[in-house]
Amino acid sequence: MHQQLAWYVGGPLLGLCVVALRWLLNERLGATAAWSEAVELVAVGRRRLGTGGWLLLGLIAGGVVFGAFGPGLDGYGWLTDTFSAPVVVLVLVLSGVLIGYGAKLAGGCTSGNGLSGNAVLSPASLVATATFFGTAIAVSFLIEALL
Amino acid sequence: MRAAAAFAVGLVFGLVLSWSGMTSPDVLRDGLLFRDPYLMLFFASALATAFVGLRVLKLVQARALLTGEPVAWTTVRPARHHVVGSVLFGVGWAVADVCPGPIAAQLGQGVAWSLATTGGLVLGVWLFLQRAESAEG
Repeated sequence: MHQQLAWYVGGPLLGLCVVALRWLLNERLGATAAWSEAVELVAVGRRRLGTGGWLLLGLIAGGVVFGAFGPGLDGYGWLTDTFSAPVVVLVLVLSGVLIGYGAKLAGGCTSGNGLSGNAVLSPASLVATATFFGTAIAVSFLIEALL
Repeated sequence: MRAAAAFAVGLVFGLVLSWSGMTSPDVLRDGLLFRDPYLMLFFASALATAFVGLRVLKLVQARALLTGEPVAWTTVRPARHHVVGSVLFGVGWAVADVCPGPIAAQLGQGVAWSLATTGGLVLGVWLFLQRAESAEG
């Protein structure tokens, strides 16, 4: 149970989640939209939890289930290998801001644009996905060169 | 029913993301540096499955099981904000090696570092909503 799920099992299962939400509720699966709903509860006085909010709670619950049998993280990748804990926290907060603001501005993240949007060949999602994959690959190589 | 369905789909999504290593920064980084094909194969097979599955729903003119409405979607024309937003998102994704779905799953797993990423994510979304609101108002 501790091993990484084979990509040809995990990938299709992930894709089926997109299909399932569409078939059950005719809704688009997107993690950024889910987070946004939660923030809107406070920020813009949204009254009740919709599909996105429940999806977010489900995502967290999925992590809880995995945490019960899966391996925990030892450190946090290149960040804890390179920086002291306070610096890692600062970098993660700043990255989180870029992730949240950027994904909202782009109309979705890896799930909303990358899976749901591309699966229906939405031109904006194709552009967004090419951009964030290209950027992330370039930045990863840049970090690698600087380390 | 609606809530339970969304929660169940989210649970499977979060479990699969976790089990596939998407909540592990090393797996993400190895994928983005092409050291390990897992990330790209995982993403491509997920996308291919979603593509085929949604085509089938459209082909059989399916109705949503819980709401009865016809299954339908709209597409969006690309604009500058899609590119700008995706550059910002891509930088954050590469530095923290995690995206919004896995951040939620990390929280569930009890990864303490994810509290920092979550704080930033919430702040980023909040800033966007404030900006959008002031632009409307």
